[in-house]
Amino acid sequence: MTTRQKPELLAPAGNLEKLKFAIHYGADAVYIGGRQFGLRSKAGNFTFDEMREGVAFANKYGAKVYVATNIIAHNENLEGAHEYFKNLYEVGVSAVIAADPALIQSCREAAPDLEIHISTQASIANWRTAQFWKNEGIPRVVLAREVSVEEIREMKEKVDIEIEAFIHGAMCISYSGRCVLSNHMTSRDANRGGCAQSCRWKYDLFEDGNDDDISLSEQADEKYTMSAQDLSMVEHLPDLIEAGVDSLKIEGRMKSIHYVATVVNVYRKIIDTYFEDPDHYQIDPAWIDEIWKAAQRSLSTAFYYNEPTDKDQLFGKPDRIPKYDFAGLVLDYDQQTQIATIQQRNSFGVGDEVEFFGPHFYHFKQTITELWDEQGESIDRAKHAMMTTKIKVDQPLKYYDMMRKQK
Amino acid sequence: MMCLYKPELQATAKDLDEVKALTKAGADAIVLGNQQFGNRVCGDFTLDQVKSATDWLHLEGKRIYIMVNAIFHNDHLKQLPDYLKTLETFGVDGIIAGDQAIFQLLDELNLTLPLTWNPATLSTNYQTLNFWHQRGLKRATLSNELSLDAVIEIKQKVAFPIEIQVHGMTCIFQSKRKLIRNYYNHIKEDYNPEQMRFIKEDKKDDTHYPIFEDGNGTHIMSNEDLVMIEYLDQILEAEIDGLLINGILKTKSYNEKIVSIYREAIDTYLNNPRHYQIKKSGWRQAIEDIQPEQRAMNTGFYFKEQIY
Ligand code: SF4
Repeated sequence: MTTRQKPELLAPAGNLEKLKFAIHYGADAVYIGGRQFGLRSKAGNFTFDEMREGVAFANKYGAKVYVATNIIAHNENLEGAHEYFKNLYEVGVSAVIAADPALIQSCREAAPDLEIHISTQASIANWRTAQFWKNEGIPRVVLAREVSVEEIREMKEKVDIEIEAFIHGAMCISYSGRCVLSNHMTSRDANRGGCAQSCRWKYDLFEDGNDDDISLSEQADEKYTMSAQDLSMVEHLPDLIEAGVDSLKIEGRMKSIHYVATVVNVYRKIIDTYFEDPDHYQIDPAWIDEIWKAAQRSLSTAFYYNEPTDKDQLFGKPDRIPKYDFAGLVLDYDQQTQIATIQQRNSFGVGDEVEFFGPHFYHFKQTITELWDEQGESIDRAKHAMMTTKIKVDQPLKYYDMMRKQK
Repeated sequence: MMCLYKPELQATAKDLDEVKALTKAGADAIVLGNQQFGNRVCGDFTLDQVKSATDWLHLEGKRIYIMVNAIFHNDHLKQLPDYLKTLETFGVDGIIAGDQAIFQLLDELNLTLPLTWNPATLSTNYQTLNFWHQRGLKRATLSNELSLDAVIEIKQKVAFPIEIQVHGMTCIFQSKRKLIRNYYNHIKEDYNPEQMRFIKEDKKDDTHYPIFEDGNGTHIMSNEDLVMIEYLDQILEAEIDGLLINGILKTKSYNEKIVSIYREAIDTYLNNPRHYQIKKSGWRQAIEDIQPEQRAMNTGFYFKEQIY
């Protein structure tokens, strides 16, 4: 029987809207990127004003906001770091996530009270390294994706430091930070946010000394590639909780609102269910179904149990995952008329089978029978992006609930 | 005026024979290790062999550095203390490591093994290196993805010796996964660990990235061999302390020749920079003459812009 504290559920938030959804759907904390020093240069990245709004929103829920400042800096990138960290502190974020000691030091000097977490980019994979950072006064390390559940358990036994570990999402097939394929193949610096995902490209593999013109991949009619399946611990979360992980992290600052809300919703449900009664915890197949509605690749447990094999990699054509569209966002619901106001996010219309869902794993399916535009004119399809519509629904809904539809 | 600056020409070695050959060819220091604790060692040295190499090199007045640069997992830590203690008793001139656990270990074990900090891709700016210097490094190897200007700026802003690679292939990727074996399993072919392999980018026939597995996972090496023979003037002018020739996946005779060319070039420059300028294209030609057919040459990132 466990006496553990509930671990934190940590979700990605590529922009302000995603931040709100992640928190509303149950994340205890979100991580975001600012305009500088972060790796996801395309992830929408927050201005300081947006961060302020994000922090205010999070505070209402008792949630935290972390900012990724996880580039591996070159000399010319160091300028402005002090001011940046000072601003982050003033904005009120709870921590920064950093890998480069230059930035760690800048942060300490500029904002001594701002908490620092060591990023997965530093590839922390053993207890002594965790101990090193503990001795440096660092409260939390994000582990390398190459550690097993057993290794985590040993780290927690030996070192009194918070451990953050990934539970879901895409990942580097290399040790994070140790891949410069993009630098070489595209002149884009992966460790400063320029990764071109070269690991997922197709290659020809040759054996030295054999006929140089014909590659093994050609003979086998299968290109060589290094694409990792996405990580998912949906079926095994209690193992990580019991190993002592303090923060369960979902990857994906570039992912959609639908993805973030869906994945957060499932893991929130799993954590809460587990803690209600750990001894009688059972997986509900509905949670796994739900994860697959957002999945973008096949899923694997990566290094948590065994060293990954070819079964944990993606070869050949991209696998076909049933894909759902985020069709609409519920803005309002009138109990009397049972009519929901819905903002269109992807085309839908009368006759479509849709699924509504909301926080706490609230779900129901129905067919759209009646649909109106903003003026109350009956329409057949909601074709225009972001248009406001009204739908007659079978069950109550709330603001922030979502409507999805199979593609 | 007498010039006090004397760069250290370092070369990797795969066995005792190569240790001797490269030393005779002019290397000031030899870099070697065992894959149990070292990433991308050229060949596995047992502790006995490390001892022989150390004794031999010290008699010759040369130095030896041991690669302990794996990304450590808990398991490594079980045998690492004994390994380090033994290395210290051998009197090796230093260890090369890039995992922060090493600071802890050296401290706790009270070892005085000088540490060359080499975290592969993560050694990219002077503030970072100064941070690690305060934690105990004695020297640092810079990442290969830096411009020469950045290297020179770092040299000016740190108070300890720095090293860069000047020749050979560079590592561009490390995964803990067995990415070759996995592929062979996938296509149902037998995997032979002795076989050397390379990959090509799709539809880019002139590319050639060596790929191999060792105890630390899968490594991919650069498409070109770094060749800095014609730019040593800039490197030596900046008084960079260590110049590494990485001989991984090359023959002993190739490495021997390369070391002797760099030896001659460095000595020539230090004696008379003008002679270096006159002779450098000849050295370049001499390298081209022995360069394996598939291996193009370039200057890495030293003169290349990167975007991000
Ligand atoms: S190419 Fe692949 S392994 Fe390398 S940094 Fe990009 S995503 Fe990671």
